[in-house]
Amino acid sequence: MIQLQRVTKRFGSAAEALSNVSLRVDAGAMAFITGPSGAGKSTLLRLIAGLERPTRGRIRVNGHDLDRLSSRAIPGFRRSIGLVFQDHRLLFDRPVFDNVALPLEILAYRRPEMRKRVRAALDKVGLLHKEAVNPRTLSAGEQQRVGIARAIVHRPVLLLADEPTGNLDPALSREILQLFDDFNRVGMTALIASHDLGLVERMGKPVLHLEDGRIEARGAAESAT
Amino acid sequence: MKPGRRLLDTVPAWLEAHRDAARRSLQRRLQAPVLSLISIAVLGFILALPAYLWVLLDNARALSAHVNHEPRIALYLDAVEPDTVAALERHLETDARIERWTWIDADEALARYREGLSDPGLLDWLDDNPLPDVVDVLPATAEPETVAALRQALADTAPGATVVSDDEWVRQLNSLHQLGLRILAVVGALLGLGALLILALATASELRERREEIAISRISGATHRFLRRPSLYGGLITGLGGGVFAGLLLLVGIGLSRAPLEQAAAAFDLPFQLALPGGSHLLTLLLAGLLLGWLGARLGSGHALRDAP
Repeated sequence: MIQLQRVTKRFGSAAEALSNVSLRVDAGAMAFITGPSGAGKSTLLRLIAGLERPTRGRIRVNGHDLDRLSSRAIPGFRRSIGLVFQDHRLLFDRPVFDNVALPLEILAYRRPEMRKRVRAALDKVGLLHKEAVNPRTLSAGEQQRVGIARAIVHRPVLLLADEPTGNLDPALSREILQLFDDFNRVGMTALIASHDLGLVERMGKPVLHLEDGRIEARGAAESAT
Repeated sequence: MKPGRRLLDTVPAWLEAHRDAARRSLQRRLQAPVLSLISIAVLGFILALPAYLWVLLDNARALSAHVNHEPRIALYLDAVEPDTVAALERHLETDARIERWTWIDADEALARYREGLSDPGLLDWLDDNPLPDVVDVLPATAEPETVAALRQALADTAPGATVVSDDEWVRQLNSLHQLGLRILAVVGALLGLGALLILALATASELRERREEIAISRISGATHRFLRRPSLYGGLITGLGGGVFAGLLLLVGIGLSRAPLEQAAAAFDLPFQLALPGGSHLLTLLLAGLLLGWLGARLGSGHALRDAP
């Protein structure tokens, strides 16, 4: 599903955010990326999501060679991915339902099917009763779950999450990771960046450790299957 | 295509997507009505000025048609050979540009003149008739170019004749009208370009406000076309509003100019009534508003989305 070969990313003349990173995550797998802040976790996820282009190296995701993907083909590629952010990035000018429906709107789903899928996604994260409220009124944990519902509502083949538990207490964090585990069980490949080592290790999944932009495998090989 | 979606669904889905974009765009405008109304007002003022000039020019043209719809050409045949007279008669019979003509014999003219004098005996002092034969020609059309061409053709047929037409002032008025149209085109184009840039700026700043939504949508795979769709509908809404507002301004402006213009015309003895803007004027304003709104939004969104993350 994800394959990086000797990928380097440099922003302008700054030091390399990622140096010579190679990794593989097979379809249907679930893996974690850990490391201190500034280690390059977000950069790695942004490269995999096609939000950044590598300075050097090859990235292959879901059958697409990202370094060769034309800008016209990028929207189509991104529709096969779900992305969860630490700061949720919800839109406060519309209710929860419309936030979750956004990827389906982009995919031009019809209303009845859209309603069905949004409700199913909200039900999955336990927020069906909040569909009409403004996300501003929700707690941090609830906002994160809305963000997760939005990331999975179009049933992407790959789910990427950047510090999804960053602002949450341990109980909520476990709940969120359990959700990802559930999605993974139904076939969604998942790659989750987190600095919370203890929490990650309890999940018993392969862990890729990043330090100063380099991979240092911990708990598993460089490949996660 | 996603599993579970049928081809038959795609057209209604596309229509729904457009309806949603239009609705969202309208909602956004209703949420910030003052800014939206300012955009509409700016476009309305910009469209109203050339439209006002246009209606006045149309009225001026109507005036020239009204005052002189029968231009005349007179040929004074004082030094013309008999052969030429025959050729002239043939020409008068055959030229399709001539509606009708009257040959006024010199003797007949003198007799008429004599009737008009209080003392007809005065003319007895003359040795012979000083008046020439005159041909009075009514052209088939009042169109200045055709009248001028006919006048030249008659002069060529009858060398030595003095050819006079009374359409000179029509030609002058017509060239003034052409000048007016040119000024209208230049003023209209400049104002249109200005409106386009203002609308593009408004669209770009609106897209800056939607920055977060655009970033999230891009991450979710939104295309350029999807992202700019609400802006294009916004442009059409502004354009429609601007066109309607310009129409109202035009009606008010023409209404206010009516009395003074008609008074001025009366002072020149011209039977003139200022016509109100017609359906074609108002429809053109509406279409111009829609076109400018759409183009401005397209220009602004193209620029803003290229720069957005």
